[in-house]
Amino acid sequence: MATTALHPAAPTYRSTLYDWVTTTDHKKIGIMYVINSFLFFFIGGVLALGVRVELAQPGLQFVTDQTYNELFTMHATFMIFLFVIPMLAGFGNYIVPLQIGAPDMAFPRINALSFWMLPLAGILLLLSFVTGGSAAAGWTSYSPLAQDRPLAAVGTGQDLWIVALVLIGTSSILGAVNFLVTMFKMRAPGMTLFRMPIMTWTVLVTSVLVLMATPVITSALIMLFIDRNYGGSFFDPANGGDAILYQNIFWFYSHPAVYVMILPAMGMISEILPVFSRKPLFGYKAFVFATAGIGALGFSVWAHHMFTTGAVYLPFFSLMTFLIAVPTGVKMFNWIFTLWRGQLMLKTPLLFALGFLSMFLIGGINGAFSASVPVDFAIHDTYWVVAHIHYVLFGGSVFGIMGGLYYWFPKMTGRLLDEGLGKVQFVLMFIGFNLTFFPMHELGLAGMPRRIADYSSTAGWNDLNLAATVGGFTIAASMLPLLWNIFVSLRSGKPAGDDPWEGNTLEWATSSPPPPYNFDRLPEIRSERPVFDQRHRGDAALGGH
Amino acid sequence: MASSPRTGRSSAATTAVVVGVFVLATVAVLALLSGGDLVGLSQRIVTSLYPPVAVTSQGAQIRDLYTIVFLIGVAIFFLVEGLIVWSVIRYRRQPGDDTLPVQTHGNNVAELIWTVIPTLIVAFLFVVSWQTLNAVEAVSAQPDVKIRAVAGQFQWQFEYLPADWEPPAAGETPKAPLYTQNLPAGEGGGMAVPVGRSVKLYLTSPDVIHAFYVPQFLFKRDVVPGRTNVFEFNVNEKDAGQTFRGQCAELCGSGHRIMLFEVNALTPADFDAWLAARIADASATPPPAPSGEPGPSGEPGPSGGPAGPPVAVSALNIAFEQTALNVSAGAPFQIAFDNKDNGVPHNVQIKDSAGTSVFQGEIFSGPAQKTYDVPALAAGAYTFVCTVHASMTGTLTVN
Repeated sequence: MATTALHPAAPTYRSTLYDWVTTTDHKKIGIMYVINSFLFFFIGGVLALGVRVELAQPGLQFVTDQTYNELFTMHATFMIFLFVIPMLAGFGNYIVPLQIGAPDMAFPRINALSFWMLPLAGILLLLSFVTGGSAAAGWTSYSPLAQDRPLAAVGTGQDLWIVALVLIGTSSILGAVNFLVTMFKMRAPGMTLFRMPIMTWTVLVTSVLVLMATPVITSALIMLFIDRNYGGSFFDPANGGDAILYQNIFWFYSHPAVYVMILPAMGMISEILPVFSRKPLFGYKAFVFATAGIGALGFSVWAHHMFTTGAVYLPFFSLMTFLIAVPTGVKMFNWIFTLWRGQLMLKTPLLFALGFLSMFLIGGINGAFSASVPVDFAIHDTYWVVAHIHYVLFGGSVFGIMGGLYYWFPKMTGRLLDEGLGKVQFVLMFIGFNLTFFPMHELGLAGMPRRIADYSSTAGWNDLNLAATVGGFTIAASMLPLLWNIFVSLRSGKPAGDDPWEGNTLEWATSSPPPPYNFDRLPEIRSERPVFDQRHRGDAALGGH
Repeated sequence: MASSPRTGRSSAATTAVVVGVFVLATVAVLALLSGGDLVGLSQRIVTSLYPPVAVTSQGAQIRDLYTIVFLIGVAIFFLVEGLIVWSVIRYRRQPGDDTLPVQTHGNNVAELIWTVIPTLIVAFLFVVSWQTLNAVEAVSAQPDVKIRAVAGQFQWQFEYLPADWEPPAAGETPKAPLYTQNLPAGEGGGMAVPVGRSVKLYLTSPDVIHAFYVPQFLFKRDVVPGRTNVFEFNVNEKDAGQTFRGQCAELCGSGHRIMLFEVNALTPADFDAWLAARIADASATPPPAPSGEPGPSGEPGPSGGPAGPPVAVSALNIAFEQTALNVSAGAPFQIAFDNKDNGVPHNVQIKDSAGTSVFQGEIFSGPAQKTYDVPALAAGAYTFVCTVHASMTGTLTVN
């Protein structure tokens, strides 16, 4: 089905640029999401290296306390709001219409609007570095620290941060509406809900989470803005406000946001594992229910971030947090038994998916420690928590994103990424990741709090911090083979063909890259693996489903 | 393309050999690295994955709970990672093998098992956590010692309270503490506590959120402006004479990392003697607080002419020692500001009745003095505040 678009004349640089800036094609928008997210991934990564360089040895060598607070605040802000969330939304944008056999998203122009708000928000955040300092109250921006006070959040950086986050939130809400309408109204004939690929299902659940949770944090941000600029009294006890109220509202969004950041990555590896095991996903329906279960339970666990505030009904949030381990465990076993008795093709996408499984497992187990409230009293706000979120969001989401990139890059560009470079990247990233974040468990248990620019040389934290810094640079080094791989593959990579991996889902039934309207014709859809069915049509040994 | 699950894959036996060799090789490398001391190495690894030995009875219970969670976590880790590694080695595709594996779509019994068993495990963990929680959170109505920790940017202050002290209701002035310890860590500052006795700690903050964290207590509690958090602990008798490191654990601004303190565990007899001596010191030497100051004289003051004597204002324990000042209208005057808080930044800022700032003095850390030149003010009622600490206020009458 490989078709080559015939251009009457070679497109000029300007016309190509104009084409991309004005496009409403979900595939181009998806690719712009991915590129934009990678840019902020690198910016956020540089900020993280700043943190690691300062902490490599005791003593304040490179930055001031205030700059240090800016570094980790903006590292988390960029990574969460301008990398992980938009990156997954970008893959969703590219993949979901293809997977359900639709020609585009339901609202293509709103789709473009959703995207263009992101670079705008990113520019606002970057501007804060040159307008007297960025936000420095942590990505959580707890009140009263984020109020406009001396020794707290001074300058316009915090205000720019609020405005940027409101923009990103609005982009997410518009995107969620767009996804939901697309999935409910534009599925191809035969594509019932329970035949939708898991990636699409995870984007569906994620969109519901975004739609329900994002307006809540938007309200908190607007109230904080009023507090700071017009003398509101929402969250500042000095003016009769309530500091804990902000935390409740903030986490009511920000815990579900963790699932916004992990569910689509779970969806990605749920596409990769079956294809590279050459088996269907084990327990498809159980997987869908587990995803929905995580989404629903995700709304009842927010206060586990606040166990030490003394203002939480602890047993309830402890129980709900423990319970969320159950659907997560169901998924873990579904993935493993997808591998079981399979025919594993150990290509780069599968390696990253296996990295996800083995690292996210640690992020799940060390999360259970925090669900146990008394244990949380010991480890909360220490480096243990930093280890935990990175095992979930890096070991989980980033490994999933890398797997997804190697998996769908051929579809997006028509070129295969190089396997050798991909494996080098995986090995470097896997080692660097564990070297950076595993010692943080030990640092946290030994009592090192988060968000400190320096520590005593006699506290016994020196070696572990140095190891983490070496690991951080190893992760940075693992980006070089990736960039080189993308560069050489775009120029002279092996042509991918329509279906390089023997895929299961509809995106592999069209050309690589797909035409603007996506499909010339669709295969019959009689299961969640229409392309597999087409490939094995009449293969008696396989029987029905 | 008939499916044949056996051919072309490594057999279970081969996989077991591969895994076995890998495990043995890892053990051998570790043995070499540790100089043959494998037991010592494994002990070090386990210790590094454990919180410190607890010095409070509450912390010891948390550590016991940690053991349960840790063991279950480690068991699940090895089971699941083992399954992943096994699958990868056992079921990897051999070159040239194009057979399609059996297309298994699921198994309801298996899925039921791995839903029910984790549910039972987390239910168990929840119950034991809850039990420990109730023990750790218990506070007695009449503890042996009551201490109030005031956490302000960026210092800890510990007030030793009378036995009948209770947190003040809104608008009420709290009962005065017996003794206030307001020195930075390393200069004799910190909190002294008697071992073997129950210590109830009240936590308050005048500015932003902080957190009281002592790693060896295995415990932390946030210090939230606008509310008083309370918890209780008993330091083990065998730990008398020791000093424990403490640190703010909630980001509180640019000085977060220097917000350190120490906990000194004393025998009850030593503690009583120490506290008695401190109380006697504080009341015997007149200068420290109000009496020696020209504070009251600022009120009736002859502060008429432009060159009149400066108005004295002092700050101690994150509070102004004067609450009312008088100056003449229409003439510039001076404020001699004495910041007595070691390491804590203060200043004097004057606001008119509408809340607009009419004068803001330079912020500086104590102990130090500065004289501010204040421009002439129109007659009326003003407030003076510390820009850093919103809770520090007083009234200024200009007439």
